[in-house]
Amino acid sequence: MKLEELRKIRERAEAELRLRGGTSRVKIVVGMGTSGIAAGARQTLRALLDEVARRGLKDVIVTQTGEKGLAAQEPIVEIHEPTRATIYGEVDEAAVRRIVAEHVVNGRPVTERVVEVREVKG
Amino acid sequence: MIEDLAMHLADLVQNSLRAGARHIVVRLALQEGLLQIVVSDDGAGIPQHDLAQVMDPFFTTKERARIGLGLPLLAQTAEETGGRCSVTPRHGGGTEVRAQFRWDHPDRPPLGDVVETLVPLLATSPGVEFTVELSDDRVTWLLSTREIRERLGDVPLHHPEVLCFLENTLREGMDAAGLKEAR
Repeated sequence: MKLEELRKIRERAEAELRLRGGTSRVKIVVGMGTSGIAAGARQTLRALLDEVARRGLKDVIVTQTGEKGLAAQEPIVEIHEPTRATIYGEVDEAAVRRIVAEHVVNGRPVTERVVEVREVKG
Repeated sequence: MIEDLAMHLADLVQNSLRAGARHIVVRLALQEGLLQIVVSDDGAGIPQHDLAQVMDPFFTTKERARIGLGLPLLAQTAEETGGRCSVTPRHGGGTEVRAQFRWDHPDRPPLGDVVETLVPLLATSPGVEFTVELSDDRVTWLLSTREIRERLGDVPLHHPEVLCFLENTLREGMDAAGLKEAR
């Protein structure tokens, strides 16, 4: 393992972090339970990390959780924003790219894939 | 449904995460013709009265799920290749799942992409440390997220450059330990 590489990554990333100064705007959660994994949630999580990195979205966090209890609609992806949480079903790699482009970047949910929307009371 | 061994591995890690583990050890070893997959955690553990039932496909503790196929399916697959699978409580709490597969057995499922499976899990589990140990008859190769985090400070593991580093590093380890599909 080339641990010295990490020092350089840290220097670059910290400089970038200082420039931005802000906190995250969107949190994306992927359901990674057994049924999610069997339905392709690994590829979904990977595509999300990839797409967020490729677009340089610095205010987006990608994370994962266990079973969501929506087995028929896996892989499940939740988009958490300050005022609402949007639950998407059957999110494959192509859907990931659309959701990131249309929803996360432009704020317009991809309605045909939405399973549920919850308003968050601030 | 679960097609490759990497998928089983993801399932085991997810079980550990759900049990509230703070440290998860993932061990892959190819020794004397046996592939061993071990996932060991310091999570809540499985209560004694449930332990006898974890291999029952219709037993689950998940509130909204009706069946829990992960472990029974893994055990069945292991046994079909002349291997076996065990679930053992760890001293001081936590659980260790150990599955063995005969590497050359025609029914052994493909290994699948272990790197692309593990890295996203490692990177998106804040507060959980992972140790990945890869070995064959000659070498043992180690990756510790704690060691990596110490050097990264506040930079998260899901930072794109760190993801890339993790993938490259883990891939080197898989190669070093000969964990590669020949077919």
